[in-house]
Amino acid sequence: MSEARTASTAEGLSVADAGLDRAIRMRVNGSWHEFGPASGIGGSMTLAWLLREKLGLTGLKVSCDEGACGACTVLRDGKAVLSCMILAVEADGHEFPTIEGLPADDPVVEAFAEQCESGHGTALQCGYCTPGFVLTARAFLNENPSPSLAEIKEALSGNICRCGCYQAIAQAVLKAAAKIALRGRKA
Amino acid sequence: MSKPFEPRVERAFIGKYRPKIDGKEKASGKAVYADDLSIASRIPGLLYAKVMRSPHAHARIKSLDIGEALAYPGVVDILRYCDEDVASLAPTNAGWTDGVDTVSYRKMMWGSFRDRRVLGDHACWVGDEVGVAIAAETELAAEEAMRLVKVEWEVLPFVLDPLEAMRPGAPLVHPEISKDNVFPADPFGGEEVFVDKGRVEDGFAEAEVTIEAKSVYHNATQSSLDNWCCVVDWKEDQVSVWSNSYAVDQTRMHVSQMLGLPLHRVRAVSPYVGGQFGRGDTGDQPFFLFTALLSRRTGRPVKFKHTRRESFHDSRQPAIYFAKAGATRDGRITAMHFRSIGNAGAYADHTMFALKYAPKEITEVALAHIPNVRFESKGVYTNKLPACMMRGVGNSQFNIIFGHVVDMLAEKLRLDPIDLCIRNFGHEWESLPDRSLEKVLAEGSDRIGWKEKRHAPGSGELHEMTRRRGVGFSCHPAWHAEWQETRRGKVQVAITLNPDLSVLLSAPSVETGNGSNTCNVLGCAEALGFLGISPSDIRWASTVDTNAGLKDCVQTDSAVSYLQSEVMAMAALELKAKLRDLAAVELAVPPGEVEIAAGIAFPAGSPERGLAVKEILLRGDLAPITVHMSRAPLATKTGVPFIANFAEVEVDESTGRVEILKLVVVNDCGTVMYASGAEAQQIGGQCIAVGETLSEEIIYDQATGVPLNFNWLDYRIPTMADMPEIEPVLLEVWKGGGEYGACGIGEGTLTCTPRAILNAIYNAIGTRIDEIPVTPEKVLRALAERGATAAATAAGGGPGAGVAP
Repeated sequence: MSEARTASTAEGLSVADAGLDRAIRMRVNGSWHEFGPASGIGGSMTLAWLLREKLGLTGLKVSCDEGACGACTVLRDGKAVLSCMILAVEADGHEFPTIEGLPADDPVVEAFAEQCESGHGTALQCGYCTPGFVLTARAFLNENPSPSLAEIKEALSGNICRCGCYQAIAQAVLKAAAKIALRGRKA
Repeated sequence: MSKPFEPRVERAFIGKYRPKIDGKEKASGKAVYADDLSIASRIPGLLYAKVMRSPHAHARIKSLDIGEALAYPGVVDILRYCDEDVASLAPTNAGWTDGVDTVSYRKMMWGSFRDRRVLGDHACWVGDEVGVAIAAETELAAEEAMRLVKVEWEVLPFVLDPLEAMRPGAPLVHPEISKDNVFPADPFGGEEVFVDKGRVEDGFAEAEVTIEAKSVYHNATQSSLDNWCCVVDWKEDQVSVWSNSYAVDQTRMHVSQMLGLPLHRVRAVSPYVGGQFGRGDTGDQPFFLFTALLSRRTGRPVKFKHTRRESFHDSRQPAIYFAKAGATRDGRITAMHFRSIGNAGAYADHTMFALKYAPKEITEVALAHIPNVRFESKGVYTNKLPACMMRGVGNSQFNIIFGHVVDMLAEKLRLDPIDLCIRNFGHEWESLPDRSLEKVLAEGSDRIGWKEKRHAPGSGELHEMTRRRGVGFSCHPAWHAEWQETRRGKVQVAITLNPDLSVLLSAPSVETGNGSNTCNVLGCAEALGFLGISPSDIRWASTVDTNAGLKDCVQTDSAVSYLQSEVMAMAALELKAKLRDLAAVELAVPPGEVEIAAGIAFPAGSPERGLAVKEILLRGDLAPITVHMSRAPLATKTGVPFIANFAEVEVDESTGRVEILKLVVVNDCGTVMYASGAEAQQIGGQCIAVGETLSEEIIYDQATGVPLNFNWLDYRIPTMADMPEIEPVLLEVWKGGGEYGACGIGEGTLTCTPRAILNAIYNAIGTRIDEIPVTPEKVLRALAERGATAAATAAGGGPGAGVAP
């Protein structure tokens, strides 16, 4: 639990719940959203909370709520970020693609869903961490379109998969890279 | 490089490598979990509950003042331990069942240990949920108001260590149950000496070689990403409970029994669940009840959710194991004596399952040919977080001493430990050697390169100046063959065939990730093969709802992968009979002469007169045909298959760091139901196993009893960068009863890993570390002791002089 969310005065009264004093605007999956002082968003609310509770984007999960697991990953201006570590007010003026914003034939989503060949298992089991992994991989492949296995392991080591599908996830990222390259050539 | 497994019987759908049926839904973020279906906009009027957590390891509430908290903006109601609606609830236990069956309050498995109060006044560990529960308009308001509750505590002395807790004068955790913190005998676990076969003393007298060993298993925690979450809506006619419990029928029974409601007035629903791994035992958790009471009081739906820190709610049962074993010089084991002292933590729950119930079964499925065997165990209360089920419950802990005995005894006998296992272990329905054990060990040995890499302890070559490599293994009997599942009672499915030959499958089982949903769809397609349909023609429901009227098949050890498929095979026969009746009319032959294959019904011997089943149905009244089938698991004792894990490690003697170079995971499955899913279990299990062995550990401040690392930064779960190459090996050697004769493998995939790694470390550095997690500090200390021993030997002191065994 972040310190900011539970900050209290000496009298035990919350300062965290104070509403916004001005409107914030952000672009999520292509649409602009504005939240004003009456939106119920407090100064301590995280971007993760806002995206889930106010916009209904529940693909991202709040698991550790302190930047340790990666389940709440979204993209900010093209980079993977942890939405539990960003305050809603800090989101002002930025663009956030979430898992819901990816196209139906997104190559990374497809590669994760299809992974099954012998020797690696599937790239997901319970699926709770999966959207976070997909978006982390998405941002990583934008920067490094043809990564090595070692580079994938390094890049995705901020995400936890307790079902332990790491070996298949790495394979899925390799396959996603190949899919992207293939489609790019076709285009 | 691994190679695909070879099925014993080639089938159309069962046993294939293919994507998980929910892959797309999960990868695209569309799968809905309890926390998702309960966002505020989806449940009008939703309130949020928070419960008080004890700041003390052991204390009693003397008085409470909730005045200020009640006045805090947004607070709707506060439930206190002394309020009649909660104070009148019966004492309970969080593990009414071990997950397979549905049980009432009267029949709960550990009825001897009803040590929990729902929101009581007696706090038994730091974090214990006691005192008050607050319902408020927002989570934050509930949290803030909790800070305003004034509590006068009577702080009591506490104890963390089980050996200290057994000493006279130690603080008593539950004096109403035990006057010395040691659990009394109970009907399920038995006496302190719970196995005493043959005459152990005579067996040791006959032995020409004996060894003594000690191993310590610590308290790791499950760490499901989907923290506990429930929403309870108490309406006049029905109390609805949406949650991420993995046992909905048991959740309904628990709520019904504890709150005195008839079953038709309680509805339990679970959508997708983000990992289970045994957390919270079977979910008979008090928080369901105080959340329900808050909903009744306020007349509104109430959500209760653990934060990640609060989800450090229970741990694997830690225990100290001692063993003595004796054998003749030719490697025949004459006697084995195992002793354990388990740290139950603050509540009993399933402690005795781990300490007694699980190991007891091993005597009949692996030690059946050892003439003299004794097991004894003490479960001990302390003021640590409660011990609980965790993937591999009891078996994982026992394997750490079992594989230790094998390795030590083999070394002293100058035998290959693989040969020692094959010569001695097997179940009572088969003569030695056990074919399954032989095959898993041969396959594992081959894949790790056992013959080339195994050397005398500590005698391998040095790599990069300071690193030594070693290999080790451990093996274990599986424990989810069909005959071991009979306590579940009936397994239920319903198959509805639509007139266009699409299928609605009702095989309720909460999807926690282990792939049994895919197994069910494959099993259904296989069973309905005569209709010529494929898995994509079958609709499987991801949400399990008790109002559907079928008991859910609870996920334990991926046993669901075959249990419901066995029932579907029978349901398919009944469906076929119904279709024969319909086709008989159209074909103008008696039903007994109708054959159906590939979706065509035809008179026996005259396929040219066939009619498509779909056409026959579309000519009729278009009513779907539903078959309900219930079947108890077959009780025929078929023995069990074996599991083995092999490890290769590299230990840096200058830093104490252990790197796992490779793991080989071998499971004899009987029948592989879904190959990609089974391999995902084999590989995935190693995340928990490697974490438990090398990095995961709950650390307490000894002076206060406060746990210090209830977060994933300091409680270190392996990430992708920490995991070694893992080679999964699926075999079909053993076969159980029924159509498939499969066995659950999910839990067992990690059971042998810690000991395999420990034995590999010994092989690498020639000194033993018998306590996990193996931190660099422990390695360096062991190396220093080895050095001291070597120096003493050189100085004429003899091996081990001055070093306590």
